[in-house]
Amino acid sequence: MSAVWPVSRAAVRRRRIQTLVIGVVVMLSTTMIVVALGLLAASSGPFDQAYGKQSGAHLVASYDRSKVSDSQLTQAARSAAAVAGPFGQTTLDLGSRGMPGAADSLVTVGRADPNGPVDRLNVYKGRWAEKPGEIVLNQNPTDSGGRGAPGLGSTMALTSGQKLTVVGFAYSVSQSADAWVTPGQMTALKPTSTQMLYRFAQAATNAQVSAGQEAVTSGLPSDALIGTQSYLALRAMEAGEPNTFVPFLMVFGWLGLAVAVLIVANVVSGAVVAGFRHIGVLKALGFTPTQVMSVYLAMVSIPAVVGCVIGTVLGNALATSLLTRAFENYGAGSVGVPIWVDVVVLIGVPVLVALSALLPALRARSLSAAQAISAGSAPRAGRGLRVQRWLSGTRLPRSVSLGLGLPFARPARTALTLAAVVLGVTSVTLAVGLGKSLTTYQTAASRVDAVDVTMFAGVAQNGPPPAGEDAPPIAKLTDAEDEALLRSTPGATAVTASLDLPMRLAGTQTDLRATFYRGDYAQLGYRILDGRWFDGPGQVVVSERFLRQHGLAVGDRITLQTQGKSVRATIVGKAMYNSGDEVLSNWQTLALVAPDRRANLYEINVKPGTDLDAFVKAVQAKDSGLIETPGQEAGSFVAIVLATVVLLTLMLGTVAALGVFNTVVLNTRERRRDLGMLKSIGMTPGQATVMVVTSMAALGAVGGVLGIPLGVVAHRLVVPAMANGAQVEVPDFMLDVYPAGLVALLILAGILIAAAGAYFPARTAAHTIIAKVLHNE
Amino acid sequence: MTESNGGMVVRLSAVRKEYGEAVALDGVSLEIQAGEAVAVMGPSGSGKSTLLSMVAGLDRPTSGSVVVHGDDLGTLDEKGLALFRRRRIGMIFQFFNLLDDLSALDNVALAAQLTGTSASHARKRALELFEELGIAGRRNTYPAQLSGGERQRVAVARALMNRPAVLLADEPTGALDTRAGEQVMDLLLDLNQIGQTLLLVTHDQQLATRCASRVIEFVDGHIAGERSLEPTA
Repeated sequence: MSAVWPVSRAAVRRRRIQTLVIGVVVMLSTTMIVVALGLLAASSGPFDQAYGKQSGAHLVASYDRSKVSDSQLTQAARSAAAVAGPFGQTTLDLGSRGMPGAADSLVTVGRADPNGPVDRLNVYKGRWAEKPGEIVLNQNPTDSGGRGAPGLGSTMALTSGQKLTVVGFAYSVSQSADAWVTPGQMTALKPTSTQMLYRFAQAATNAQVSAGQEAVTSGLPSDALIGTQSYLALRAMEAGEPNTFVPFLMVFGWLGLAVAVLIVANVVSGAVVAGFRHIGVLKALGFTPTQVMSVYLAMVSIPAVVGCVIGTVLGNALATSLLTRAFENYGAGSVGVPIWVDVVVLIGVPVLVALSALLPALRARSLSAAQAISAGSAPRAGRGLRVQRWLSGTRLPRSVSLGLGLPFARPARTALTLAAVVLGVTSVTLAVGLGKSLTTYQTAASRVDAVDVTMFAGVAQNGPPPAGEDAPPIAKLTDAEDEALLRSTPGATAVTASLDLPMRLAGTQTDLRATFYRGDYAQLGYRILDGRWFDGPGQVVVSERFLRQHGLAVGDRITLQTQGKSVRATIVGKAMYNSGDEVLSNWQTLALVAPDRRANLYEINVKPGTDLDAFVKAVQAKDSGLIETPGQEAGSFVAIVLATVVLLTLMLGTVAALGVFNTVVLNTRERRRDLGMLKSIGMTPGQATVMVVTSMAALGAVGGVLGIPLGVVAHRLVVPAMANGAQVEVPDFMLDVYPAGLVALLILAGILIAAAGAYFPARTAAHTIIAKVLHNE
Repeated sequence: MTESNGGMVVRLSAVRKEYGEAVALDGVSLEIQAGEAVAVMGPSGSGKSTLLSMVAGLDRPTSGSVVVHGDDLGTLDEKGLALFRRRRIGMIFQFFNLLDDLSALDNVALAAQLTGTSASHARKRALELFEELGIAGRRNTYPAQLSGGERQRVAVARALMNRPAVLLADEPTGALDTRAGEQVMDLLLDLNQIGQTLLLVTHDQQLATRCASRVIEFVDGHIAGERSLEPTA
C-alpha cells in the first residue's frame, strides 16, 4: 500500500477544484447535519432538557405551617429521589400602583442559595439575595418585563410599609415562586406556608407523580397539604411556544440531511467517473484493483474528512447558538448539541462519502486498463436523441437549444443535480412561506404598528400620593377630559381608552386579565376570526388559546369575578392574539363590575404625516400625567424562528448551488473536446457560456416547478402543526401566502440557484484555449 | 465552393509562438494563394499543428502577424475570432470531433445555425452537402453508428457548411483505415479541383502527394524546405 498514499496525495493536489468542492460541500453539509440533528434532538424535548438541566421539581408542594413542622416534612420526603426545602413561603402584597405590567402580589420563598438538589435557579442578571431587604425576582430572560416592571436596583414597597431592593433576576423553569428572599428576611416577613420541592424516580405520568406525592405526604396530617403543582401540568402549559419550533425544525432538519446526502453522492460519484482515465493509467502501471480503489477512496476521503471535521466544529457552534437562543425562555443557559450527534456525524459522513465513492470505484475496478483509459474519450452512443433532434429543429438560438439538450446526455447526474435543486427550491419556498406566515401572524396577533401613539394615565391610589422623583405620574384631568383632549389634539383620527383589570374565571383557579375598551377599538388592529366585536354589556371577545384551554366556544357564557363582584358574559367573538389568560370586553361590561374606574391607557391613531413628538407635547402641555409608552412590539420568538429559517435556507441554497457548480465542472471537463469543436466552428465565448448556463437554468426551472408545490405542501403541513403546538388558530390569510407573483419569483429562485452555480465554470470553459483541447488526443 | 478572390488568402509574417521556454514556431512566414492546396509535413513537435491553430485563430502568436482573407487576426478579440472562424474557416480533425448526441445531419447543420440561420434552411443546406459527399443515406444516423470514413465525411460537410475561405485539415486520414483514407483523399482532391483552398497538416506522404500542389517541410518550428507538386488526378 506504500504507493497508494503518494498517488492519492498527488491526485488531491492535481484536482484542486474538485477537492475544494468536495471539501466545501462536505463541510457545509456536515454543518447542516450537525445543526439539523442538534435541533431535532433538542426539539424532541426542549422542556424536558431544560427541566433536566435545572433539576426541575416534579412536584412543588405548599404546606400549612400550623399543621406540619419542617422536621416532619423532611422525614416524610425520604422516599423522593431528591428534595429541596423546607422553605418559608408567603405572598407579598404590593398593592396596585396602577402601572400596567406590575404584579399586585408575589408568591415569595426564602432560599439561602439558588442551587441545590432540586430547582437550580438560573440567576441571569444581578445576584442572589444575600441579606435582609433584598429580593430576587423570577422572570423569564426573554421577557422585557413590560411597562412599569421593576428593574435591577429598584425598590418594591410592600403594603405593610417594608421595602425590598431588587438585586437580581432568576428564572425557575419549575415556576416554584414569583420571588425569593433570604431565609432571614422570610422569617421577618412571617411565612404563612412551607414549600417543598420534590423529584421522583418515576414521574412520566400523572399516576406516577400522584404516587410520588402520596409517598412524600404519607404520615403527615391530612389537611397539611394546601396546594401542589405537578411538572406535567406545567409542561402542558409551557409546551405551546417550544412545540411551535418542532415541526419546522423537523422539516428543515430532514431537508438538510436529504440535500447533503444527494450532493455528496453527486460530487463523489462524479469525481470518480471523471477519474476513470486516471484509474486506467494506474492499472497500466501495475496497481492492483484493490490498490486503485484505495487510491480513489483516499483521494475523495481526504477533503471529505477535513470538511467533516471543520463542519462539525461549525455546526456545534451554530447549533449551540441557535438552541441557546431558541430555548433561553426556559432559562436553561447554554444548550448544546448532544455528543452522540458529533460521534454519528464524524463517523457517518466520511462513511457516507466513502460509500458514495465505493460504487463508482467498484465499477472502475471491474474495467480493464484499456477500457478505463479510453473511458470518456472513445465515441459513445448519444443519449436523449429524440429530445436533441427536436431541439435542433426549434427556433431557439442554437446555443440555447444545445444547452437545453445537455442535461439529457448524463441522465443520472442530471437526476441527482435536479433533486438537489428541487430540495433547494422546496426549502426556499417553505422558508419564504413560513417567514410570511409568521410575520403576518406576529403583526396581526401583536398588533405591531397598528397604533401610532400609546399614552399611559397614572391613577391616584387611596391615601396621600407618593412624593419624590420616583413617584409615578398621576393624570391631572378626568378620564372623559383626557379622552376629549386626545380627540381634539390636531392630527388625531381615532382614540381608544382602556383599562386592565385582574379577574378570575369563576369555577377555576385561573387568574385572567380583562381589558375593557371604549371608543374606536375597531382601529386597534385586532383581527376577528370568528363571531363579532362586542356591542353591549356582558359580552367578551377571547383568543383561540383561551377557548382551547377552557374547552369553550364562541357563543358560550362565562362568569368573571373581581373584587367580590361577578358578571355573566357571552363570548361573542374570537380575536387573533396569543394570550390564553386575557379577555377583551367593553366599557359597558366594566360598568357592571367597576363603574367608578377610569381608563389608564389611551391608544391613538393619527393622520399620516403628523409629527408624533409634537402631538405628545401638545397633549402633555394640558395633562402632564399622560405619559407616552412604547407600543406593541414583536416578540423575540418569531425573530429567532425567522433567523433560523434564513440561515438554514442560505446554507441549503449554497449547497444546492455548489451541487450545480460541481455538475457543470464535471460536464464541461467531460465535454471539453465538444466545446473546443464548437468554438472551432465559430461558437463565441458568450454563446458557450449561454449554452452551459442554459443547461443548468433549465434544471433550475424544472426544479422550481417541482420544488414549489413540494414547498407549498410542506408549508401547509408545517404551519398548522406549528399553530397547533402554539394553540392558535390558523386563519386562511396565514396559509395563502403564495400569490402568483411570488411563485414566479420562486421559480426564478430555482433558476438563480442553478445559474449561480453554473456561471463561473461555464465562463472558464468558454474561455478555454481551443488548440490545447483539440490537440490533446 | 470557395469565396476566392483569386489572390492571397493566407499570409503569415515572421510568426513566432512560444509555450513557456519551448518555441513551437520560430519566425515562420508563409503565403497561400486562393485555390491552392498546401500540405505541411514534418516530424512530431515540428510545429505543424501550431501553424494550423494560428491560421484558424484557435491560438495567438507570441509575435508576428497572421492575415486570413483580409482579416488581421491580431486585431480581433475572442468574439471576433469566433465570428472569423464561422465565416472564413472550415476545420477537419484527425478524430472528427462530432457531437455524439446529434445526428449526422444536425452535426453539420449546427455550423450554420450558430450564425443564426434557421433550422430548416441549415438542414436543407446540410442535405445538399450530404448528397454531394455521397452520405445522404446516413443523414439521420448518429456518430457512434458511422464508420470512420463516414464520420470524416460528415466532418468535411460540417467544415464546408459556411463556405469557408480556407479548409484546414489536421491529419484528416490519421484515424482511418487505408480504404477510408483513400476516400477522404479523393474527396479533398475533388474539393480543391473545384477551387477550395486547402491547408493540410499530415504525416502521410501519399496524402500530400495526391492532394497538394505545394509541400512545406517543417523542422523545429521553422520552414526547412518547400516543393511544388503536380496533384494526381
